[in-house]
Amino acid sequence: MKPVILLNPIDYMILGAYVLVTIIVGYALKKYMKTSEDFFLSGRSLPSWITSLAFLSANLGALEVIGMVANSAKYGILTVHFYWIGAIPAMIFLGLFMMPFYYSTRVRSVPEYLKYRYNEATRGLNAISFAIMTLLMSGISMYAMALLFELTLGWSLTSSILLSALVVLIYVFFGGLSSSIYNEVIQFFLIWLGLLPVVYIGLHAVGGFEGLVSRIPPSFMHAWQHMGSASDNPMGVDWMGVVLGLGFVLSFGYWTTDFLVVQRAMASENLSAARRTPLMASFPKMLVPIIVVVPGLLAVALLPQFKVVPGGPSPDYNSALILMFAHYLPNGILGLAITGLLASFMSGMAGNVTAFNTVWTYDIYGSYLKKNMPDQHYLKMGKFATVFGVIFSIGTAYIVRSFPNLMDYMQLIFTFFNAPLFATFLLGMFWKKTTPWGGFWGLLIGISAAATHYVMYQMHIVHYSSEMAANFYQAWWAWCADFVFTIIISLFTKRKAESELVGLVYGLTPKTRSSDNLFKKPAFWGVLSLVVMVILNIIFW
Amino acid sequence: MENTEPRRHFFDLKIPLGGLLGFYGLLLFFYGIFGPSDIYDKSANIDVNEIWGLVMIVVSAAFLFSAFFGRRAKK
Repeated sequence: MKPVILLNPIDYMILGAYVLVTIIVGYALKKYMKTSEDFFLSGRSLPSWITSLAFLSANLGALEVIGMVANSAKYGILTVHFYWIGAIPAMIFLGLFMMPFYYSTRVRSVPEYLKYRYNEATRGLNAISFAIMTLLMSGISMYAMALLFELTLGWSLTSSILLSALVVLIYVFFGGLSSSIYNEVIQFFLIWLGLLPVVYIGLHAVGGFEGLVSRIPPSFMHAWQHMGSASDNPMGVDWMGVVLGLGFVLSFGYWTTDFLVVQRAMASENLSAARRTPLMASFPKMLVPIIVVVPGLLAVALLPQFKVVPGGPSPDYNSALILMFAHYLPNGILGLAITGLLASFMSGMAGNVTAFNTVWTYDIYGSYLKKNMPDQHYLKMGKFATVFGVIFSIGTAYIVRSFPNLMDYMQLIFTFFNAPLFATFLLGMFWKKTTPWGGFWGLLIGISAAATHYVMYQMHIVHYSSEMAANFYQAWWAWCADFVFTIIISLFTKRKAESELVGLVYGLTPKTRSSDNLFKKPAFWGVLSLVVMVILNIIFW
Repeated sequence: MENTEPRRHFFDLKIPLGGLLGFYGLLLFFYGIFGPSDIYDKSANIDVNEIWGLVMIVVSAAFLFSAFFGRRAKK
């Protein structure tokens, strides 16, 4: 197949400059990496504007950008649910209610919290499943990215994989989390500056916002109006599924317990900054649809291959973004857009790698394999884990290459672990009677419930109007199973002494009174963010 | 607990960030002015390189200025 995009020397200069700066930033941070906490948690010293942009960027991987543009071309403005109801309430909850437990207890990772709140077994279950899933996801997104570059730019799969993996390896190896975070901030700006031109030119070509609306199906412009029943909207999901499955379980499970994002907030310089991290990140998060949903809608309005023909073949939605680049961007700005995409890919991958090396070193290696070694030993192990984490990801990328269907399964399996985990955290943090073994068995039952539901859906025992609806309801039932069984088992097993739970559970933790002024108060930002989200939903009702 | 002293600050991120964006801005701006003009047929006849180059120069200047004056203010 002939590549649809031809880059020229200017484009390559832009790409090259990005790679160079990324590596320089990583190398320049090397001298600050003296202890393991410097490497894994940036010495808890970063201001909140940096951690909040990194918090957002780590989640804005290329798979996410391309996939959400594809969703938007397929489902229209319904895609905003992933950014508004499916993210903002959870981010606010993390900032206002959960962050104090993560930050003030000085735990170094999410699994470590589970150890103190519950027991070693619960931590082990979470740490091992998280470490494996993180590397698999990083390999999968690397493969997806390389495949896209092969088809559109004509780069070979191996050269894309090696280039991106090597760059991420170098900068994470030298600067650890700090370097990952610093680069995520740079990547944040490149993603925006790289993707905005296609929105600008596309809107110009289509005749402004009104022109866009007149050229897409009417149901593509409403976020809630067609959600009454699953058969009325292109997504095949009703509002209950969106609110309970996506808005509550999947979103809270991801944003409040996934160490990949929580780690960014933990790197903040103080508790108040840590709490502001997800809250400040929620504002740019609400704007992300401008660069992902709008290009998808533009693709439907402007590119003939995305016109919906009843009964016709289904277009390859994943190519929507890159085809928009190919049709509307001249060289120069084209290089910037590709750099933005590469940046989003690297930020996602580095996020996975830094979360992996921390959980591996503190929660697996340092807890089960070699306890009580000097700190320098763990610092070295962190660097070593970075190397083999990247190598393992590359391996995954090639496995997925031979079995492309694996990709869809993996995404689903990931939700097996995230969705129930939120119930375990919720009960752990807010109900002091939750017992260690209640937590462990509840989590295991929740994961099994997700797996059982998945098998039942595959065997057509339960039915939904779409795959997405199945996914949302699966998350919901897994959460319910975890929630109910954790409570039941907690009633029959031995509790931890209250003295052991101080700082870990709401009600046993002294309230911190902050002397910050209004603009530094987390509650102010939380309320403001919620209000803006509600207004946006009303505008696009 | 609350407000533990940050132990140290790393170098100021605004400098490499502003530098990179400034380089991109200048490159795109001059390519937009002196480069070929037929490539803009695609982009609805907008010289997007020139316009976006200027935007990026402004963003970059904002970062570099705030890094420069932020440091002076601390001293």
